Amino acid sequence: MIKATHLRKEFELSKQQRKELNTKDTLALAVNDISFTCEPGRVYSLLGPNGAGKTTTLRMLATILTPTSGSIEIAGIDAVKYPQEARKHIGFLTGSTGLYARLTPLEIIDYFADLYQVNTQDKEARKKYLFDLLNMNDFLHKRIGKLSTGMKQKVSICRTMIHDPSVVIFDEPTSGLDVITAENIIKLIRSCKDQGKTVIFSSHIMSEVDLLCDDLAIVHKGQLKYNDTMSAFRANMVANNLTEEFIRIVQMPTPQA
Amino acid sequence: MIFRIFRKELLDTLRDRRTLMTMLVIPILVFPITLNVFMEISTSFQENASAKTMKIGVLGDINKRYIKQLEQIPAAVGPKKIIYFKDSLTLANAVTSDKIQLGLLTPKNEKELSAAQQTITLTWLLDASEVGRAERAELYAASLKANAETERLQKLGLRPEQIRPLVVNTVNCASDKKMVGQLAGGFLPYIFIAFGFIGCMYPAIDLFTGEKERGTIETLLTVPVLRWKILIGKMLVVVSSGMLAASCALLGLFVSIEFLDLADNKELLEVIHSILTPYFILSMFALLLPLVIFFAGLMIPIAIYAKSFKEAQSIITPLNIVVVLPSMVGFFPGVALDMNTVFIPVINVVLATKELIAGTLSWTYFLSVFGIMCSLAFVAIAVSYKQFGKEANILN
Repeated sequence: MIKATHLRKEFELSKQQRKELNTKDTLALAVNDISFTCEPGRVYSLLGPNGAGKTTTLRMLATILTPTSGSIEIAGIDAVKYPQEARKHIGFLTGSTGLYARLTPLEIIDYFADLYQVNTQDKEARKKYLFDLLNMNDFLHKRIGKLSTGMKQKVSICRTMIHDPSVVIFDEPTSGLDVITAENIIKLIRSCKDQGKTVIFSSHIMSEVDLLCDDLAIVHKGQLKYNDTMSAFRANMVANNLTEEFIRIVQMPTPQA
Repeated sequence: MIFRIFRKELLDTLRDRRTLMTMLVIPILVFPITLNVFMEISTSFQENASAKTMKIGVLGDINKRYIKQLEQIPAAVGPKKIIYFKDSLTLANAVTSDKIQLGLLTPKNEKELSAAQQTITLTWLLDASEVGRAERAELYAASLKANAETERLQKLGLRPEQIRPLVVNTVNCASDKKMVGQLAGGFLPYIFIAFGFIGCMYPAIDLFTGEKERGTIETLLTVPVLRWKILIGKMLVVVSSGMLAASCALLGLFVSIEFLDLADNKELLEVIHSILTPYFILSMFALLLPLVIFFAGLMIPIAIYAKSFKEAQSIITPLNIVVVLPSMVGFFPGVALDMNTVFIPVINVVLATKELIAGTLSWTYFLSVFGIMCSLAFVAIAVSYKQFGKEANILN
């Protein structure tokens, strides 16, 4: 489970950034008092336009960034106080995730399994399971730099799941991928849900959210504008279609709970 | 876990051709190639100059005494062809326009001067900017002078010792090791420091800025490993690369001397062998290690701060000059390790290595330099850790 309470994140602006943004403020507010809960066995989606604060929120959940205030609970662990413990339960994948081009898929998976302190027996079993599932056996010994985008995506998925995390965080996972390659991600999210894992993913594409999510939050300018189930979103829709309804909510002046 | 990160980063680094070139190939080849090219060029110039037939212009004819003697100098001293001129102006112009290589002017009253036992002045005209001409003129002059002296002494009925009441010789009391230390002492630390720095450069940029640029840093930061362990694992690779580059330069020097026979002077070889002892190598690495950690600590914060490979390179490359230039202090005579220079990083290591080669480094100075560089290395690690902990630096 993921439980975020009153999350707030401020970034200090450098002189150059202040000049670029034409502001005298020394701080930029990326996330402003966001609270939500993601349940195991359900897919939670953070939907919002570019620059809404989705990535910052997910980075805080993944313990890459420390919140300015607020609390995060990952699988029952206080992730702000004990990030090391929380990380053992998190799998993190982004659309812009890079891989080490000079290593082979096998070397990368072994490296991350070791970093997650997966014991040898479990590591071998997980590797076999994931390599078979993702059809990776043919290119395990080729260097990443020589693989296609689809193959690299499979390696990224395998790296994310090698320690069998109970919480999986996807930051715009299909960004920049073609439909066929993106299908691997869609399958992975569904498979995580079936296995009872807690899944949260961010997107700015309504159709993708509609396809996958059980619970939906709409974020705009660092604030939560909507937070309910996807079925409630569909049922209470005022606009003609999902995309128009998303735009309508984003443009509403006051936040809705 | 630090070792696991080190192992992976080392594997990744060793597969980078650019890093391999700067870390292994160039340092190993620099000495054999430089020495070989230097020796080849120098030998070839010497051979060409001594084998060349010199056209020597003279005034008058073969009956003149010194021209006759010049003709009689054996070809082994250097092949020559005498060309006769009628006036000194034409002869000088011929030298200037390179029609002849040497011109010899003898006094008109040569016979009278000789009879009166006066000093006769011979003048060489030559273009000193051309290789080997002044040297050849000196050889011919030495032969003519020796003949003239013998003749004059015979006429006077004297032995050479009778007109030479005092001979002053200079004996160099410095050991060969010290002499080589003074000569090579400036050169060697410069090479090791330069390669130690260059060896650190690419891995530092690749393992920090490269991670940001390739988008791999995010995933690395989500693993349950403390950030300082990630930093140390990476830093170990940067330091190892610097040490490896410096070691390869030493290996290249050793191979050049031992197997390629590029330094064919026996005495010099003996001195070099007496310098390259396990004690010297260990002591030098003891001085080099904290210096390379210090270099890594200078580069890593820059590499963490930079947003792209290009930006990191544009900041670190000028730093190269700032660091490597002081290491040239070893070339200057008179600059020695004292209570002031011992506190200046880079310069203290250069001067200590110079004294180590000369065999004059005291334990007090050795430990002082080692201690000061270790303290600076520690500060550099602390600065790197602070930078690596900053959220704004590690994510673009």
